[in-house]
Amino acid sequence: MGSAPQTILKRDGTAVPFDAEKIRLAMEKACLATPEEQVSAQALIDMTALVVARIQEGTTPSVEQVQDLVEQVLIEAGYGLTAKAYILYRAEHAKIRRSEEDLMNIYRELTYSYAQNADLKRENANIDADTAMGTMLKYGSEGAKYFVDQYVLPKDVAAGHINGDIHIHDKDFYMLTETCCQIDLMKLFKNGFSTGHGILREPNGIASYSALGCIALQANQNEMHGGQSIPTFDYAMAEGVAKSFRSLYRSALVAYFQIGFALDETDSEALADKVGQSIGWPSMSALDEYEGALSGVLAAYEPEQAKAAHEYASRTALKNVKRNTYQAMEALIHNLNTMNSRAGAQVPFSSVNYGTDTSPEGRLVIESLLLATEAGLGNGETAIFPVQIFKVKQGINYDPGDPNYDLFRLALRVSAKRLFPNFSFLDAPFNDAYYKPGDPDSEVAYMGCRTRVMGNVYDRSREVTSGRGNLSFTSINLPRLGLICRGDWDLFYRMLTERMELCFRQLLHRYSVQCTKRVRNYPFLMGQGIWLDSEKLGPDDTVGEVLKHGTLSVGFIGLAETLVAMTGSHHGQNEESQRRGLEIVSFMRRMTDEQSARTGLNFTLLATPAEGLSGRFVAIDRDRFGEIEGITDRAYYTNSFHVPVYYQIGAYKKIRTEAPYHALTNAGHISYVELDGDTSKNLEAFESIIRCMKEAGIGYGSVNHPVDRDPVCGYTGVIDDVCPRCGRREGEAIDVETLRALRRQYPNMPMFYGLE
Amino acid sequence: MQKVKQQTERVGEGVKFERIRRITGYLVGTTDRFNNAKKAEEKDRVKHSVAGA
Ligand SMILES: [Zn+2]
Repeated sequence: MGSAPQTILKRDGTAVPFDAEKIRLAMEKACLATPEEQVSAQALIDMTALVVARIQEGTTPSVEQVQDLVEQVLIEAGYGLTAKAYILYRAEHAKIRRSEEDLMNIYRELTYSYAQNADLKRENANIDADTAMGTMLKYGSEGAKYFVDQYVLPKDVAAGHINGDIHIHDKDFYMLTETCCQIDLMKLFKNGFSTGHGILREPNGIASYSALGCIALQANQNEMHGGQSIPTFDYAMAEGVAKSFRSLYRSALVAYFQIGFALDETDSEALADKVGQSIGWPSMSALDEYEGALSGVLAAYEPEQAKAAHEYASRTALKNVKRNTYQAMEALIHNLNTMNSRAGAQVPFSSVNYGTDTSPEGRLVIESLLLATEAGLGNGETAIFPVQIFKVKQGINYDPGDPNYDLFRLALRVSAKRLFPNFSFLDAPFNDAYYKPGDPDSEVAYMGCRTRVMGNVYDRSREVTSGRGNLSFTSINLPRLGLICRGDWDLFYRMLTERMELCFRQLLHRYSVQCTKRVRNYPFLMGQGIWLDSEKLGPDDTVGEVLKHGTLSVGFIGLAETLVAMTGSHHGQNEESQRRGLEIVSFMRRMTDEQSARTGLNFTLLATPAEGLSGRFVAIDRDRFGEIEGITDRAYYTNSFHVPVYYQIGAYKKIRTEAPYHALTNAGHISYVELDGDTSKNLEAFESIIRCMKEAGIGYGSVNHPVDRDPVCGYTGVIDDVCPRCGRREGEAIDVETLRALRRQYPNMPMFYGLE
Repeated sequence: MQKVKQQTERVGEGVKFERIRRITGYLVGTTDRFNNAKKAEEKDRVKHSVAGA
């Protein structure tokens, strides 16, 4: 027990005499604000003494530290409402201080500094904040955040965000829209659609399927603030391949009639029309059956002639449909890496899931997309969009003998070279629970860096991927609870409960804003019936009811640092910490489940990837608690439940440590393994990682490895200091003769500028 | 290839290697645009061994 300190450190760093009476007065103020909770005068005196006693002997505490202790003591004593009022009082002060900083200072930084020097401008690495449109977006975004903090949010929520207890993601869009949606292209394409700039007819072949798929992603991206995903890409594109094949078959048959049957063009067309009207056109999977039917229609000719016509048409159509599909997938990748959305500053954050369609058309789509990804963009560059997710499923593509096993192998090879595709695991029990054979909509899909939307407490009969997405998400600063509670688990769970409830209230507040929107606010997402049940609404109907299909997610980061603060070691280091870690995350999941049951809304638990708050929480906490080894001594808190990136651990052990958290985080998760060297030269190791993920019960995973490229000679692989192909160092020039000699050796080398 | 002869003898001066990395789930072609926290995280990463089970 400490005796009262002599001095206390103010925020500006000056030391002033310590006065315990000020603590009592602040608590008293909070009590007065909550008449429904009676706190006796004696209790105030006792709690003040307790706060003083907890100040470490011989130290000079900061105002923040003392305020933490007050919060802690109030909660421990069971005065929850008073504690809340106290937090509010603290926050109001924080808020006033912040408004002094002035929005205009932010604008000044945006205007006069280059992104190189301004962290603020590098929040999203895919936006070039030095461009005019990029800067304009930042002005808008910072202005909106300020407005939301000062005028929209309930005070304690704003306080929680500003002081770093929680982080409201995409706060700049608070008043505007939702996060993301999984788009059912098959439904959208049926009968054509409108993007608001004219009607697009139902596409008639793979080229237009691919082009319209991109347009759909782009159009939706302009109405939502997160990424856009196609959950069943192979099935959707397969329809386009089938249409292309039928028309290619017909063209080839007409050509054969002219040459083989010596008919003129008009008669050939007429005969083809007769064939089409009598027996339709063949699908790639039923060519043999079709041959018999064709002989029937061409009864006037010799059976050998009909057979020859069919063989020629099939062969030609297959060859051409393969080429067309490859070109369509190549174009899709090219488009998604170049087409702009959001005022031209950013390409759409797009994701495509595939791997399970075993039809010849679907298989061709998967193979073509993978091969185009492997080849890279125009000069062999690695494509950064779309995020590709290969769905792994036993009996379909996981084992030798499975119909798509060859495509799984190809996916491994491509990922080892290009970092995509990632792998999702439909057999993980929490994903398998929804799987219905033959229904692609029951296959769990992932969006972008981790988002998952599947369960549906609002409508149990609609536990599907299509037409649904996340409404918004908010993350908890878990390490701060560890730093305050320092091993006191009882207090930890009480404070965690408070934080979760704060998030629930905030998510509901945001949902109530979203509920006021009308269909006309989303001409594409709702107007074209992409969001589930929106097709039943008129342009002036509000969207609150159909939004209930979406999810409201609570996330967390820094489980590792939390465990270090509470137990001295993180979950990668020992079993006891792992047990504690699972207990914490299970606790949060139980709370989101209970909140769902209470409200009939889909509250889910997210393994937050850090993104914008990477660095924000830890910077605030370092100011408040000091630099503490293993907790606040780095520039970031660890991603969700990950074992820290700097910790030496074997790949398999990392996977097995993280896997159980996938089952708990139903709003999304991902695990990574970092491999050294050129993984495309060690496919066995790569495959063993993916198989280990599947067996361990991981839901979504990927392998990180270095992918370097020399734009001069086009070499893609690992480049340390010297390019293994042309021998140049970074920034060095090489002579043209060397390059020309290399070109003879590697004919696929891209042309370097200046050398065309 | 005829134009080559008239061009300079050496090419590639100042051209950097591209290093594609995955940060918070997305691929980025250069680390220049990462914020400080993301840069630090990328720098701290250690490789995971696949030896043993
Ligand atoms: Zn080179």
